[in-house]
Amino acid sequence: MKTKTVKTKTKKFKHLGKWQDTLANCIRCGYCFEHCPMFHHTGWESDAPRAKIVTAFGLLTGEVEPSYSAIDKMFSCFYCLRCEAACSSGVALTKVFTDARKDLVEMDLQEGPGTTSTTTLQCARCLVCIEECPHEARFYDGKNIATDPSKCQSCGICVEVCPAGAATIEKSFGTSRNDLTKRASIFLQNHESAKAIVFACNWSYYPGLQASVLPDSETSGNDYEILVNMCGGRLEAQLLMAPFLNNAWGVMAACCPDDECEHKGYLNAKKQIEKLRKTFKNIDIDPERIQLVQIPAGNKTLFQAEIDTFIEKLNKMGPIR
Amino acid sequence: MKKNDKSNLPMRTIDKSVLEGIVGKDNIKTDPSDLYIYGTDSSVHHAMPWAVVKPRTTAHVQGIMKYANKNLIPVIARGGGSGMCGQTVPIHGGIILDMKSMNKILEINLEDVYCRVEPGVVDDDLNLALEQYGVFYPPTPASSRIATIGGEIANNASGVRSVKYGATRDAVLGMKVVLPNGDLVSLGAHTRVEASGYQLHKLMVGSEGTLGIVVEATLSFVPIPEFRCMGVANFDVLEDAGKAIGSIMASGATPSMLELVDDVAIKAVNKTMDLGLKEVAAALIFEADGMVKEAVDYEINKMKKICEKHNGKDIHASYDPAERAKIFMGRKKLFPALSKYDDDLASTALADDMAVPYSKMAEMAAKIHEIADKNNIVMTAYGHCGSGCMHTKILMDTKRKDQWASAKKAISQVYEYVRSVNGTTSAEHGIGISKAESFKVEKADSLNLLITIKKALDPNNILNPGKLMQAPENWVTATNLRYAVNN
Repeated sequence: MKTKTVKTKTKKFKHLGKWQDTLANCIRCGYCFEHCPMFHHTGWESDAPRAKIVTAFGLLTGEVEPSYSAIDKMFSCFYCLRCEAACSSGVALTKVFTDARKDLVEMDLQEGPGTTSTTTLQCARCLVCIEECPHEARFYDGKNIATDPSKCQSCGICVEVCPAGAATIEKSFGTSRNDLTKRASIFLQNHESAKAIVFACNWSYYPGLQASVLPDSETSGNDYEILVNMCGGRLEAQLLMAPFLNNAWGVMAACCPDDECEHKGYLNAKKQIEKLRKTFKNIDIDPERIQLVQIPAGNKTLFQAEIDTFIEKLNKMGPIR
Repeated sequence: MKKNDKSNLPMRTIDKSVLEGIVGKDNIKTDPSDLYIYGTDSSVHHAMPWAVVKPRTTAHVQGIMKYANKNLIPVIARGGGSGMCGQTVPIHGGIILDMKSMNKILEINLEDVYCRVEPGVVDDDLNLALEQYGVFYPPTPASSRIATIGGEIANNASGVRSVKYGATRDAVLGMKVVLPNGDLVSLGAHTRVEASGYQLHKLMVGSEGTLGIVVEATLSFVPIPEFRCMGVANFDVLEDAGKAIGSIMASGATPSMLELVDDVAIKAVNKTMDLGLKEVAAALIFEADGMVKEAVDYEINKMKKICEKHNGKDIHASYDPAERAKIFMGRKKLFPALSKYDDDLASTALADDMAVPYSKMAEMAAKIHEIADKNNIVMTAYGHCGSGCMHTKILMDTKRKDQWASAKKAISQVYEYVRSVNGTTSAEHGIGISKAESFKVEKADSLNLLITIKKALDPNNILNPGKLMQAPENWVTATNLRYAVNN
């Protein structure tokens, strides 16, 4: 029998080491990866949650070298927890990832940022990001604002609150403001029937096909497009207004209910939407054209019902004149 | 083939620049950390490929096959990577063709009652697309949330409803296949029936990627029934449940689902999900469906009475979708839940899907527990017993070398029994590496025929070599185990 030695590496990976049995108990069924926004974006299995579990196992046994590529995988996760919700083996995937991160940081092996937020030279050191980070991941090291990569959950709230635009998430997996704006305009410009953009936070389990594509004949008449922006905390005026510049009739945003939000993103979502609705009212546009819904995790049916009601409402209003 | 005989196997490396020329730089991975991930699936095996390539078009697949055939490089097509016996583990290295990006549903033809899909379409997605028209694609395995149509074809997948609606082979009308030399052929038809000829599309189903790469499939679908009623019966004695299954199937009843779960499985589900299942020796889950309620009532009552006759208790049935979903959820998530049976034991996909004649179902269930006790391991009995399929999983401490020896012994004994009662090694998960030992014994008199077919279609042996009849005799040493085993 070909066997693997685990003892020497386990010593080095002291945080990850405690998950050795869990990593064996994961049956590698793969049920987690349909839920992962990274897998959705790249289509590579090696970006999915199972891949990180396999990599963590490989790091522990020494079968995987802590190369840039392997480390980058461990530091790439939005902590949306959908993989954990889907895992009936009960593997605490994100806790495993966090412990792997702690070991790699302690070994001075954090070579790339992955989805960890970073700070550019434009930073004015106003410290707003430190106050607003819901995970206490940002700190002032005496010279610069830094991020603890084992605490950062890549929710992107620092990116949205930074007045200098200095906080960034290098690998956004399609969730950056630019990516979302671009995808919204492509949909609105290429579908005659297009009426609305729905910004969904990943926790909301948006309805629709997860990993396949419908024939053009089925999608050409679509009147809305769902775009995943990860967290309601990342909603801001520019993003919400962009679809209207492409003649959208309305914009809907979804975030978690107050008591379910992992990142306090609902606070910002409510604030941003309320502000825009007031602006709409002031310029004589029906504020109902912009709407926030709070969807409990996993409730695709409710989400679909809310979208249908919103589209019905827009149909009555017609386009903005 | 002798143990470790690799004389007929290609052993070359790849030229990355050629692959880039075919599919583009963004569709190739060669970093060892990526290769390590693609060397595993849901089985116990692990082996490293040389490259992972993501084709997006049929032309990409043709280009890769031409290059691989010329240079004798193994090519292993991979869907969701949910296989349980190492079908996509690259035992001799080579190129993994990750088919998940060929994921378009090409046509839903309601008039002619078929749909055309690319191989990377996920089963659940296809059913979601079909649902709006009141139809569904029935073979659906428990892994339907990630299983791709290509993978289901390769393994002739089936699931809980196959007892009434059949397996993948029954739903495939035709397909387009890229052969090892890169040629594209259309097999089968778009019609419900096709007379003589070799029905090559049916041969492709269950060939585990050893004969060709499916790039498009034409599938039939059926109407979603108006009424579905699901029932449960508990049993204090496992054999009684087994006898009830045999009686139901022999009675002429047409269940749309007939599932067995034993005490180990019930305990695992209860531990993972708050379903409150009663911890008895065994439970039967049965379902009938149809367009007429009276007809469904008739079937359900028939099955209830048979369960009662075989000492079933707490028998009840419901049309309520919420209640049905709750019962079904426990069954659907059973495989992953088994790993929670005991924190020190991992659930391994071994000897997991044999089929036996209905009359042997009770004996089989008892035999599994007897063999487990004798070998000091935990085994569970559950499955789509209505179609003759009995699942088991081996729960063991994968760190202990002696547990692997016990598992190997137990598995041999299970298969020996299965063959002795005219059963078959694999009902729906496939052979791959883990089950080849028993497969070769079971198919001894037709093995040369299988080898001849393989040689005729793939003379250079580049398509998924080392699987089925080519797999090594000893599955434990065939590849690295994906677990860490202490010496």
